[in-house]
Amino acid sequence: MVVVNRNGFIVFHNNEVLAIDNVFMAAVAFLASRDTGIGVGMRKTMIAIGLSAVAMATPAYADVQIGVLMPTSGFAAGFGLEEQGSIDLFMKSYSDLGPAGKLKLVIYDTRGEPAQAISLTKKLIDSDKVTAIIGPYLSGESEAAFPVANRAATPIVTPSSAKPGIAAANRPWAFRFSSTTDKTDKALIEHWTKKQSKPIKNVVLFYDGKDAVSSSDGKTVMPAALKAANVNVLDAISFQTGDVDFSAQVTRAKALNPDGIVVTALFTEAGHLVSELRKQGMTQPIAAGVELSLDHKFIEIAGKASEGVLTAAEFNRDSSKPTVVQFVKDYEAATHHLPGNSSALMYDTLSLMRHCIMSTGVVGNSEADKVKIRDCWANMNGVEAPIAGAVTINKDGDGVRQPNFLVVRDGKFVVDP
Amino acid sequence: MVFLQQLINGVMLGSTYALVAIGYSLIFGVLRLLHFAHGEVFMVGAFIGLGAVVYLHVGPLVALLCAAVGCALLGVVIEFVAFRPIRRRNGSLLAPIVSSLGVGLLLQEVATNLFGAEQTRFPPQFEGEMIRLGGLFVTSTQLFILGTSFVLMLAVHLFVSYTKYGMAMRASAESTDVARLLGINVDTVIVLTFAFASALGGVAGVLVGFAFSAISPFMGVSMSIKGVAIMLIGGLGSIYGAMVGGLILGVVEVMTVGYLASSYRDAFSFALLIIMLLVRPQGLFSGASAAKR
Repeated sequence: MVVVNRNGFIVFHNNEVLAIDNVFMAAVAFLASRDTGIGVGMRKTMIAIGLSAVAMATPAYADVQIGVLMPTSGFAAGFGLEEQGSIDLFMKSYSDLGPAGKLKLVIYDTRGEPAQAISLTKKLIDSDKVTAIIGPYLSGESEAAFPVANRAATPIVTPSSAKPGIAAANRPWAFRFSSTTDKTDKALIEHWTKKQSKPIKNVVLFYDGKDAVSSSDGKTVMPAALKAANVNVLDAISFQTGDVDFSAQVTRAKALNPDGIVVTALFTEAGHLVSELRKQGMTQPIAAGVELSLDHKFIEIAGKASEGVLTAAEFNRDSSKPTVVQFVKDYEAATHHLPGNSSALMYDTLSLMRHCIMSTGVVGNSEADKVKIRDCWANMNGVEAPIAGAVTINKDGDGVRQPNFLVVRDGKFVVDP
Repeated sequence: MVFLQQLINGVMLGSTYALVAIGYSLIFGVLRLLHFAHGEVFMVGAFIGLGAVVYLHVGPLVALLCAAVGCALLGVVIEFVAFRPIRRRNGSLLAPIVSSLGVGLLLQEVATNLFGAEQTRFPPQFEGEMIRLGGLFVTSTQLFILGTSFVLMLAVHLFVSYTKYGMAMRASAESTDVARLLGINVDTVIVLTFAFASALGGVAGVLVGFAFSAISPFMGVSMSIKGVAIMLIGGLGSIYGAMVGGLILGVVEVMTVGYLASSYRDAFSFALLIIMLLVRPQGLFSGASAAKR
């Protein structure tokens, strides 16, 4: 079944959201209506889609509407799809808000693009009249969307963005559930260097120069963490989000013969890079920053080359905590794959947002309701989230948490004690 | 040694660009049409090859064949749905370009829904063997791609120069009206050109899929842009130009990354393009069309 929601997003029965501009849909309808050789049935369907994309539906009141921004298409789609699994799971059990009615989510696909994140944030606030926003996913998107929400005095909480300073620059309305790289990198590098049999004195640092968090991490945060651990950076070599050919970068690094390799990149690029490193015969130990995000896709892309790669992540899938075990079991049953870091972060953020709505008596989207949600996040201290446990938000609006260290063993991320 | 390895890296990357650009050039040469959806045909080819490998358990050569046949059909459908109606109604010059952009978007969205937006890959055994020569390194897939682009370049050249249909293509490229007067069925020639170029695109998609293990609905986007740049560098519609232009672009990109930084990569590539347009606006190979080669 295909339903078109009021903003021209086609929502499929499994809640996969496909963004198609109204204009484009109208064009499809127009084309379909011409003599183009498309079957009559198909033509009718296309016309229906095109027309309803332009039509407006009446907004619902008396429920609490929360906007969700995440990438379900484009280069970062993998993250958004992991989040979608958690959203489906959460809404199945927890959409009831008691006296406030139902929790309603308005979900938009940002395609991982900051410009989209800005316009969709405006749309959520101005046309959908949401009480608060969860998202966006990436730091680049959050950096762009936070000021918009901050000016419009609407709470916005990213589950995942990790670039330092983004929430701090947008007080008092912007928050993040996640911790930041300045906290995780230092711990990761300490753990990594301690683990090696051969001491690591020199490294080559690879970073994604286009992705906001990877770039800030590769240019400033990670070098500082390495310096603190007395590790010398021989060369910092960049690539761009979307690259698939890493031969030039690896050939350049190979000539320097470092003791170790540090990578700050999202899972796709990190996967291709690691694969090329091993292909060209570089066997040095590899540490990857938290932006890699514990993700089965990284292992799928890098294949055998991923063995031994160490990373930091907030989510420990192998935890014996009952709520985590239950979450992993339910998630896997629903999606047929294991939840990743993104899934866990989204699930906890949704839980805490629901907690804030219910504990402060939010009933709609008035200014007072927004203030209640804002203050709930700002004063969050030791509130229990199902997966991460006690959650505290600091004065910058950031989550404070110790990362887990994960290493790839036999094609799986496991906790590295 | 490092320089030599970077040169090899560049040539290997460039040969994948050349593979796509040859199909582009062929269509431009005959139709004077920037077929922006060619990148998406290339993407569909990769998915057809992947499907054949995963579901039919075929080897690499059969996968290439499946992609070639599938994409040839797709090319013909695109011609019938997106271009022929415009030609029939004497639409404006811009109409087919917009129409091809539309087809490209449509294919991307359909692929996203069918296969998901995430990157996927061929099973690892399709990546090819690693060949080491002294300190140098290359994979068998890369060599195969380089060889294939040379063979295709020659084949296309022989086809347009010596076969009946090739001559008809050249005549149609020269002037469709005169070709019609000479009794050539121009519509058939155009359909054939689309089928042929799209089959090449499909083969390129599978080969690039083998080489980079990165198949996604969006893999055609940057290839489309690079294809246009390569055509301008090599000479619009010239098959040799596409080949040489592709290799040059690959080497420039790799050298920029290897000795400067990846953030300069596109700047240098497009600076090269601008210099080319200033110094030799007709491109390296001045032949105005594939037909003239």
